[in-house]
Amino acid sequence: MKPLSRFILTTLAVLVFSAIITGPTAFAAKAVKVGIVDCYSGPPSTYTNDVRDAFKLAIDKINASGSLSRKIEFVTRDSKFKVDIGLSAAKELIMRENVDIMMGTINSGLALAISDLCKKEKIPFLVTFSKSAKITGEKGHRYVFSLTENSALAGKAMAESLAKKPYTKFWIGGDDYEYGHAIADATWEHLIKIKPEVQLLGQSWWKVREPDFTPYITAMLAAKPDAVIVATGGADCVPFLKAAKATGFNDKVPFIMHTATELSTLKPLGANGPEGVLGTSNYFHYFPDSAENKAFVSEFKAAYDRPPAVGALYGYLAATFIQKAYATAGSFKTEKFIDALEGMTVDSPVGKVTIRAFDHQAMLPMFMGVTKKSAEYDYLIADDIIVISGEDAMPAIEEIKKARGM
Amino acid sequence: MDLLPNISLAAFCQQLLVGLSRTTILFIVASGLSLVLGVLRIPNVAHGSLYMIGAFLAYTIASAAGGGTFGFWLALVLAPLGVALISLAVERGLFCRLYEREHLMLLLFTFAFTLVFGDLVKLVWGSDFRSMNAPTSLQGSFDVLGFPFPKYNLFLLIIGPIVALGLWWLTNKTKIGKIAKAAAVDREMVAAVGINVSWVFASVFVIGCFLAGLGGALVAPTQNITQGMDHGIIIETFLIVIIGGLGNIWGALLGALIFGLTDAIGILIFPQFAIVFPYVAVITVLMLRPKGLLKSVW
Repeated sequence: MKPLSRFILTTLAVLVFSAIITGPTAFAAKAVKVGIVDCYSGPPSTYTNDVRDAFKLAIDKINASGSLSRKIEFVTRDSKFKVDIGLSAAKELIMRENVDIMMGTINSGLALAISDLCKKEKIPFLVTFSKSAKITGEKGHRYVFSLTENSALAGKAMAESLAKKPYTKFWIGGDDYEYGHAIADATWEHLIKIKPEVQLLGQSWWKVREPDFTPYITAMLAAKPDAVIVATGGADCVPFLKAAKATGFNDKVPFIMHTATELSTLKPLGANGPEGVLGTSNYFHYFPDSAENKAFVSEFKAAYDRPPAVGALYGYLAATFIQKAYATAGSFKTEKFIDALEGMTVDSPVGKVTIRAFDHQAMLPMFMGVTKKSAEYDYLIADDIIVISGEDAMPAIEEIKKARGM
Repeated sequence: MDLLPNISLAAFCQQLLVGLSRTTILFIVASGLSLVLGVLRIPNVAHGSLYMIGAFLAYTIASAAGGGTFGFWLALVLAPLGVALISLAVERGLFCRLYEREHLMLLLFTFAFTLVFGDLVKLVWGSDFRSMNAPTSLQGSFDVLGFPFPKYNLFLLIIGPIVALGLWWLTNKTKIGKIAKAAAVDREMVAAVGINVSWVFASVFVIGCFLAGLGGALVAPTQNITQGMDHGIIIETFLIVIIGGLGNIWGALLGALIFGLTDAIGILIFPQFAIVFPYVAVITVLMLRPKGLLKSVW
């Protein structure tokens, strides 16, 4: 018993001591502190790592340039894709780490919970991956900003492109989860508005992380639709496209899937992915073919030895907006920072991006393309890219007002 | 939506075939779980993790061998063996000392292993999605009654009965199978006649885990190989083992058939609420036969 109690005492002493030396950072030259809560374990990390890595790259550059009188630093916490863990991490960052800005997260439930917390604590919250339209829609407020597209934007963009095709009979299949239903509803509601003759033959809803889509695809084919709207996301895109290839779905019935053309989806499929799949995304490392994007890609590749995926754009935007907002405000006060961010435009790898002042939603252009084999890469790329501008994809301010009950 | 949509007989038969091929995977993984549960009395929650490791190993082996047809066959042979080796180390290193513990303890130990294996996979393979190709001859599909049926699914339909036959032979015709049966009933008696029970248990554990690895290697070309693929399979296979009768391999086959077919048919008939079908089937079976369909023979 004695050695054990000594061990406990020593451990306690070390813990207390380390708390004392790492606790108060006030005596150091005060830096702007950004707290990032996101899921860094499990499948979502393939997206979130890019956000963090690109953010770090941009922050390092800003700090080195000395364009702000204070340095920007950041701390990360793993939410493990759980709302309770993520929310307590966010509280800890705000109470103990005294962060000035919060950032994250890929989990929509958690994003809304942190948004609520930040509203109470009056801390700006930059949302970097969650696709929930509620963040800047129904549940929007002064302290929350979304730097990523959401289901409303993506749905509208998909509907716009589908309306141009000669399809009338549709089938909807998707994740039986908020994201799936939100994106399917957004697409369908907009499609039926701009092309009233469309009809819905039926719907299939599968569980998130469905391992095998073959029975769903064969059942959809049996219904003989003109086109299928696939409302599945994240890790499920890969097995869906595999099953599509195995059944020849892409050759028989055209289908559209948001994020189908993204690097995270197409890279694991290699050169053997299904061609001719319609998909939308915010970013490709090979498009737009501009000097800004090329520079961004080569910097990212040099630092991390991989091409940046869509998350990298969000991380870059977060860092760039933070720098410009503080620089424009000429102050490090939160309220001034928010005033500056409203309506602010920055240059980015995808061109100029503006935060709409009314709902704090970044107006990101959406790229719609078709999967195609490429001579340059050992995976499929998006071809025939149509750009849907941020202004066109954004839901009208009236709709946001209605959702907020204004 | 119509309550009874217009579904042709051809579509129905085709959906049955697709469902059967999914059943194959469920059966292979569930039979391994059932074997370990029946003989060793270990509710091995880490079985799903071994399935995941099987898929990751298959990916690594196939990529190392060039990713082509040869790589696939090599992976299909080596990945389950790799999983068997890992399980042998775990059994000899840890589980063989724990057989006398109560069920709850064993459950916690295996649960701890799901966490360890989960992090191990993350350390070794990272968080990117992985994917491997089926051999060229098994890619694409052919028409069955006017509907596409993937060639790979046909391959699965052939593998399933082979594994079932192999298991039947192993448990009924081989010495180790008979000893294992006896050891499950009365461990001390078997030890008293001079048989090393510990090694019998080790062999059964390894065979069970081999099946998990085989299941993982078999699904690898059809799925996204990623962390978290252990969660879904362990829940489904546990349900299958429970409705089939704990520890009964034929129960696992029956359970897998019920689970896989209700799933596939549910998707065709009532696609909006397809998720619930297999679970409704499970509840129905348990209400009628709370101890499972077949007797625990081990």
